[in-house]
Amino acid sequence: MQNRMIALLSAVLVLVGGASLWAAGGTDNTIHIALTAPLTGDYAEYGVNFQRSVQMGIDEINAQGGVLGKKYVLSVGDSRGDPKESVSLAQKWTSDPSIVAEIGDFTSSCCLASQPIYDAAGMVQLSPTASATTFTPGSVWSFSIVGTQAYEQPFMADLAFNKLKIKRMAILFINNDWGMDTQKFFKENFEKIGGKIVAVESFFQGEKDFNAVLTKLKESKPDALYMATMYNDGALISLQRQKMGWDIPVLGPSSLYSTELTKLGGSSVNGLYTNVSFFAKDTDPRVQAYVTGFQKRFGATPNFHAALAYDAIYILTEAIRRAGSTDKQAIRDALAGIKGFQGLTGTITFTPNRDAIKGYKAVQVVNGDFKLLK
Amino acid sequence: MFTQQLVNGITEGSLFALIAISFSLVWGLLKLVNFAMGEIYMFGAYAGWIVVSYITPNLFLALLAGFAVGWGLGWIVEKVAFKALRGVPHIASLVCTIGFSFLFKEIAAAIFGAQTKAMPSFYSSTALVVAGANVSWLQIFMVALAAAMMLLLQLLFYGTKIGLGVRAVALDYRTAGLMGIKVDRVTSIAFSLSGALAAFVGVLAAIYYNAINPYMGFVPGIKGFTAAVFGGITSIPGAILGGYLLGIIENMSVQFVSSGYKDFVSYLLLIVFLLFRPNGILGKKAKL
Repeated sequence: MQNRMIALLSAVLVLVGGASLWAAGGTDNTIHIALTAPLTGDYAEYGVNFQRSVQMGIDEINAQGGVLGKKYVLSVGDSRGDPKESVSLAQKWTSDPSIVAEIGDFTSSCCLASQPIYDAAGMVQLSPTASATTFTPGSVWSFSIVGTQAYEQPFMADLAFNKLKIKRMAILFINNDWGMDTQKFFKENFEKIGGKIVAVESFFQGEKDFNAVLTKLKESKPDALYMATMYNDGALISLQRQKMGWDIPVLGPSSLYSTELTKLGGSSVNGLYTNVSFFAKDTDPRVQAYVTGFQKRFGATPNFHAALAYDAIYILTEAIRRAGSTDKQAIRDALAGIKGFQGLTGTITFTPNRDAIKGYKAVQVVNGDFKLLK
Repeated sequence: MFTQQLVNGITEGSLFALIAISFSLVWGLLKLVNFAMGEIYMFGAYAGWIVVSYITPNLFLALLAGFAVGWGLGWIVEKVAFKALRGVPHIASLVCTIGFSFLFKEIAAAIFGAQTKAMPSFYSSTALVVAGANVSWLQIFMVALAAAMMLLLQLLFYGTKIGLGVRAVALDYRTAGLMGIKVDRVTSIAFSLSGALAAFVGVLAAIYYNAINPYMGFVPGIKGFTAAVFGGITSIPGAILGGYLLGIIENMSVQFVSSGYKDFVSYLLLIVFLLFRPNGILGKKAKL
């Protein structure tokens, strides 16, 4: 019995050893990068779009001969939007000597949780979407290209107060890193320009019953409701609000810009205001090339977050090209030095804190479709 | 606004109460908890969703489909986690149901995708206004349906042979077996019924919240179990009371404390209450 165990163990060891040798041997003419994204779970739509966009970008770059004469190889991990999963994936990527940089994760909470691991290992952690203001200052290896809430919320506050003439606002936010930030920056900016926040309420991820909290918010008699939530919760809240018979203008951050919002929310999300940096109906030929390519390949229209992931792989490629090597430190330094990068989601310039400043456009849902606001 | 929150609380409470009955039923018979209850609830919701979105937009057919799917899943869980594991320590069955919980979730995610899907609404127009509170037809329908379901269960347990069998097995399965009651059959029926009930609630909840996803069962599963313990898990009327109280307390704590503290307040109350009355509101003292 014991002999058999030893034989089995050695067989396993040989296999594992062989496999890692094989993986390491592949680095000569390939560049390995990793993608962490929530492919299942509440944020699956975003995660799947991450994977599609990054794969699309990689295939395009490889077809043009790759970068530094090497072809990309992508490893994908599903974090399920769970910080714990994101951490184990970070451990997996950083312990693999062939991987030179990571793109992901989707939520700020996941990015923050896995940040210490990338920091200790010295690997670029490039999140297309993490917008919590605490994220990128936390490590010199952390980058984000979405633009934090500190830049997005002043735009929304201005839209609400000056353009839509809303004086009294009620806020409903998801209680996580991202939601707290969004809520805080909106409140600060809205109050600074003269608006009044009449109520602030929160909920935790996974909540399905918003009747009680909506009843309470309604009582504060606001002019409008600000939903600092993701699209799926936003749709649910809107449906329950409509059922309650509470007819009120609704606004929210760019996380609501998704075709799924209108699919799930139906008529209850009509009239909703949000903003975008990337608009699928933009006439820019580069945007149109991406949108039609994406539609042809995946049968879906890419949203803002998908476009950010596409920008992420291209900006990383630019950094590797500038670095002239696949040395992790050289990639980081080149990435930090990028200025005025022309992405699909606008011009990207990294601040000294390694997050990006973007431009925003207001959009409104009209008959189940997003329309640019004039 | 107080009355509106009361209405919200009663509606949510009806859902909790029915799930709590499912837990009480299994506990009463086997002194065990089925942790896959939330996932059976989720599959019920999907069954209802398939009916209304692909077959016919008929609410009653959807509820029936949910009931049937729940019955089948309850039956499977009983056969694997309880019947096959009878005689081994209870912890094995318990862990087995946790396994089923994950398995069901992943199966649903693999079949239907992990994204949230929209469920159409029924009877959502306002039926009446009581003291400033809007009550929709759906809310009335849900509460009435829950009450009818509870009444039917009461009739089943106290008016039929099967009910007598369930009660006898719950009291003492060895003696019941010696008296000629088919213990396996009775257990199987009661277990399937508990699954059917959970799945039935899943359909109702999907219609009430207009959305389904593979992970929707976790929170209601935990809350249903909590409601059952709160009311006294050995008693079905206790489970009903526990469900309604939990629903009302939750909605009131949103109104009077803060939405962020909703679960904090209700669970704090629960813990303090159980310290003083460990058997729940209507629970009997455990016989040693």
